[in-house]
Amino acid sequence: MRTIVAHKLTQRFGSDFALDAVDLTLDPGEHLAVLGENGAGKTTLLRILATAARPTSGSLEIFGLDALRERKELRARIGFVAHAPGLYPALSSTENLEFFCSLQGIERARVPETLALVGLTDVARRPAGRLSRGEQQRLAIGRAVLHDPQLLVLDEPDASLDSGGSDLLVKVMHGRSAVLATHDHALANRLCQRTLVLRSGRSLDGQTRLQVVR
Amino acid sequence: MTRALVVALAVARKDLTSEWRTRELVPALGQFVVLALVIANFGFQIDSRNASTIAPGVLWLALVFAGLVAFGRAFAAEREQASLEAMLLTPASPTAIFAGKALAAALLLIACEAVLLPALALFFGTPLNAALVVAVLVATIGMAALGCLFAAMVARVRAREVLLPLLTLPLWIPFVIAGGQAVQVAMGARGGYNQALGLLVDFDILFVVLTSLAARFVLDD
Repeated sequence: MRTIVAHKLTQRFGSDFALDAVDLTLDPGEHLAVLGENGAGKTTLLRILATAARPTSGSLEIFGLDALRERKELRARIGFVAHAPGLYPALSSTENLEFFCSLQGIERARVPETLALVGLTDVARRPAGRLSRGEQQRLAIGRAVLHDPQLLVLDEPDASLDSGGSDLLVKVMHGRSAVLATHDHALANRLCQRTLVLRSGRSLDGQTRLQVVR
Repeated sequence: MTRALVVALAVARKDLTSEWRTRELVPALGQFVVLALVIANFGFQIDSRNASTIAPGVLWLALVFAGLVAFGRAFAAEREQASLEAMLLTPASPTAIFAGKALAAALLLIACEAVLLPALALFFGTPLNAALVVAVLVATIGMAALGCLFAAMVARVRAREVLLPLLTLPLWIPFVIAGGQAVQVAMGARGGYNQALGLLVDFDILFVVLTSLAARFVLDD
């Protein structure tokens, strides 16, 4: 069974098409890079795949389930890193993750190992609001993998990450299906087997990464 | 404990911990209600004869406007931090998340009431008794449910500061009417306290059930 099967996903905001009939498939364990200029529709596509938004039309199956109807079941199996970290600044890194353990219905014992995975053990007790932007991004990535999801949806996760950031992404994406939006073609080459290029909400099938860069 | 209760308590604990550490809301609300009482004290010619007539109105005015601020912040802060979406993208029930937010906002308003009621007794010389406290607490439950629902609805709108009172105040009127009567009786006026309190409980049940049903649609889409 394929991880994602999307057919003619369309998202309109008024008369503007943020996504225009995009088809997409993803196999288990496969990593897909979504490339495109600003405003190409990458974030809209990723938000739909993460069940954070509903498309105007089209169909979407994730793990064989209708992603528009069975969202609650899917959310336990998807990890999403959005543009903004979405952390609680007054809570420590540990408390942020423990809170999401309660929401996910998982044991808090996962928190120390997750903090170690994203390299935040030393700042585990520091309030999230006092972490650097890169550390906040690491914590957001930690939150996305806290419940051991089978599918990761990552919207420019490399933003604000330091030079070790791509190694961290390799670690968290290992053994999972992943869709990654990025402007960094080198990172896409390193992490992903396939590429989907978007321009003005449309998929540019058949173009190589080199053509896209040009 | 059921899963929904665990989620609701976790959300409430998270909000209260954040407020305890930042102290953004409660001190400001406490100052607001004291200032409102000071202004009312100078604005009205208060004496021992009219204090029990004027004080309930002043109490509900201060409470309603403090409530608008408290419930408005409940979801506005989540939107500003972009953290609401992260919560909603978990398998946790949106209704449980809403219940936790409403519980925390209600407890913050109760903290504000802990300043308001003694200050009212001090400025207006009105009695501070169990009947008064119970009437205000019972009204707070339904007001919190409604206030949080509308706060969630308008949180994504730019003009939320204007829209929240426009949507919330008309539906808070039943609480002000029944609560006003209960408070007047608790302060010494004649009337049926139990009848007013019963009406408040009915409104609580009605609005808690309705907002719980609506919360899923408001939060999830």
